[in-house]
Amino acid sequence: MAKKTFQGRALLPGKIEGKALVSHAAFNTSGSYLTNMFAGETEKAICTDAANKDLYGKDLKGAIICTTTGVGSTLGGCVLMGMNELGVGAKALLYAWSVDSVAAAGLFMSDIWNGKRIITIDMLGDEFLEAVNTGDPIAIHEDGTVEVG
Amino acid sequence: MKSGTSIKQTTKSPDYAGTMLHSDMDEQSSRGAAAKPDPKKPHQMSLTKEEQDIMNGSKGELMAKIMKIVVAHGNAFFAEKLVDLGGAMHTSMYFGTSYMAPLIKIFNECAEAGLKAYAPYTVNPRPYDVYNVNNNAKDIELIYDGYKLQREVDYIHSRLGAPDQNRQSCACYVDEVGNAPAPGTYVAWAESSAVNYGNSVLGIRTNRNATGMELLCALLGKAPLFGLMTDEGRMAKWLVEVKTTKEPDWGLVGTAIGRKVVEDVPYITGLDKYFGGKVTNENMHLLKAMGSATASSGAVGLYHVEGVTPDAKEKGKQLLVEGYQTYVIDDAEQERVRRTFENQWIEKDANPTHCFIGCPHNTYKELVTWGKNVTEALEKRGQKKLEVPMYLFCANVVRDHLVEEEPLLVGAMKRAGMKFTNMCTVSYAGMKGFSERVNGVTNSAKTRNYSNVRYFPDDVLLEIVLTGKIPKGA
Repeated sequence: MAKKTFQGRALLPGKIEGKALVSHAAFNTSGSYLTNMFAGETEKAICTDAANKDLYGKDLKGAIICTTTGVGSTLGGCVLMGMNELGVGAKALLYAWSVDSVAAAGLFMSDIWNGKRIITIDMLGDEFLEAVNTGDPIAIHEDGTVEVG
Repeated sequence: MKSGTSIKQTTKSPDYAGTMLHSDMDEQSSRGAAAKPDPKKPHQMSLTKEEQDIMNGSKGELMAKIMKIVVAHGNAFFAEKLVDLGGAMHTSMYFGTSYMAPLIKIFNECAEAGLKAYAPYTVNPRPYDVYNVNNNAKDIELIYDGYKLQREVDYIHSRLGAPDQNRQSCACYVDEVGNAPAPGTYVAWAESSAVNYGNSVLGIRTNRNATGMELLCALLGKAPLFGLMTDEGRMAKWLVEVKTTKEPDWGLVGTAIGRKVVEDVPYITGLDKYFGGKVTNENMHLLKAMGSATASSGAVGLYHVEGVTPDAKEKGKQLLVEGYQTYVIDDAEQERVRRTFENQWIEKDANPTHCFIGCPHNTYKELVTWGKNVTEALEKRGQKKLEVPMYLFCANVVRDHLVEEEPLLVGAMKRAGMKFTNMCTVSYAGMKGFSERVNGVTNSAKTRNYSNVRYFPDDVLLEIVLTGKIPKGA
């Protein structure tokens, strides 16, 4: 497939390559990790958000999650921190729109206080989500550019 | 505009989660939170020299980290600057489950270093009560297994500025609890219903903060200026016209609004006649019920009621943005929303086992009203005790007010089977292992929006607790 490049805002920059995991619906941050939050699961992070047809049942551990923005409980920030601590957090969060303020709070707290970063690029535009599919190779660069394909 | 359907998608929680997940702020998002800027040129708010010095470590490593987080968060949402906070903070960091450990670690470090919030603050109710609700052995097991870090949370708040657990309440703004900053005060609050009431009825200025961010801001004494803290962010994108022929069902109207506007600000007309132009201790519970429903069915952090709430009194319909949308709630629309509250009990035809009143926490007026209504109805029927125990959720200081003012009534209430508790309704009703064996009823749309507890108006609830049965057709 032809490579496409998108420019986003590097909120928490980093360089990484992997495969995309795409959610066309907004990512329900707390709703996606219920097994880890309440059932003691520490090996995987199987998405528990039944309303999310793209992600439900898929393992979010180490994923590069591509979505619109975040929704869900104000606990979402704590959940991102907690998943990072458990070792089942995402490697990167790529948002087509602006990051939501709840996720942003947890991402910054995890990065600045605990030194545990989840690479976060937002404002990649709707075109990004139209172009990327689950399983596509994806490369994230320090300056917030994202290559798909 | 014709009334429409919700755009909310609900998330079904797996069994092991009980219904604890949906405790706050579902559907919160940042659509339209920021204009598309040049991503290559990150926003940088202006900082004073003192703020910059703190970031560079003038007040120690921990304060530098706090400043960096708060500034980074503000920059992400194009905050113009930091503003000094007044009044007092209210926090939603109230439960000690295992996944909260990283957040608890942060604030434990702060407490050990002797940091304090800029003012004594208030905290949401604890998630359980081991004294007042007759727990059985299984309940106690669930509590101590599920909230292993609760002591750490309580101890953190004690050291940072909230030692008095008798004031823990989601309704921090009632007189007895006393966290009601003056209109226009910048604060950093969390807890969706408190933010919603504070912004709308008190006229304070706070964003809907993620759990933890409100505490960081309180330790700093500053918050980034954006969103609902700004004049622009407080403008209404929706005109909601309430045209019911009788006093509306406040929980249903709130649910309808939240589902429709999701996270936007509504300007609501048609309600001023129920307030006589003023919010008082006698009528504040109506807005508490409506507002918390808007925040739990959507993510409303601020609403305006024409002729009633402070922003609306000052600016009227000038608060509406150009091109606003209109939503009419009439009897038919209210009834349509009521029908969406389907019966979610596991055993549909079972009899009710618990009645939950007070989400958000009860005001003094609500306690008196329920106490008199229940005890008088029992006397009239020649009945000694309720068939369904009623749990009245309130801050201890509100309960104590009632004990002082109405000791005989309190005695009659206790004998009738009414229990006072200061915990969080949603955490209790939704506790894993508990919610599955409880057939709960409530008059709180917020509780209904977050759990499988069934919703009924007050008069029907009274009949239910007296008879132990759900009336036919209710």
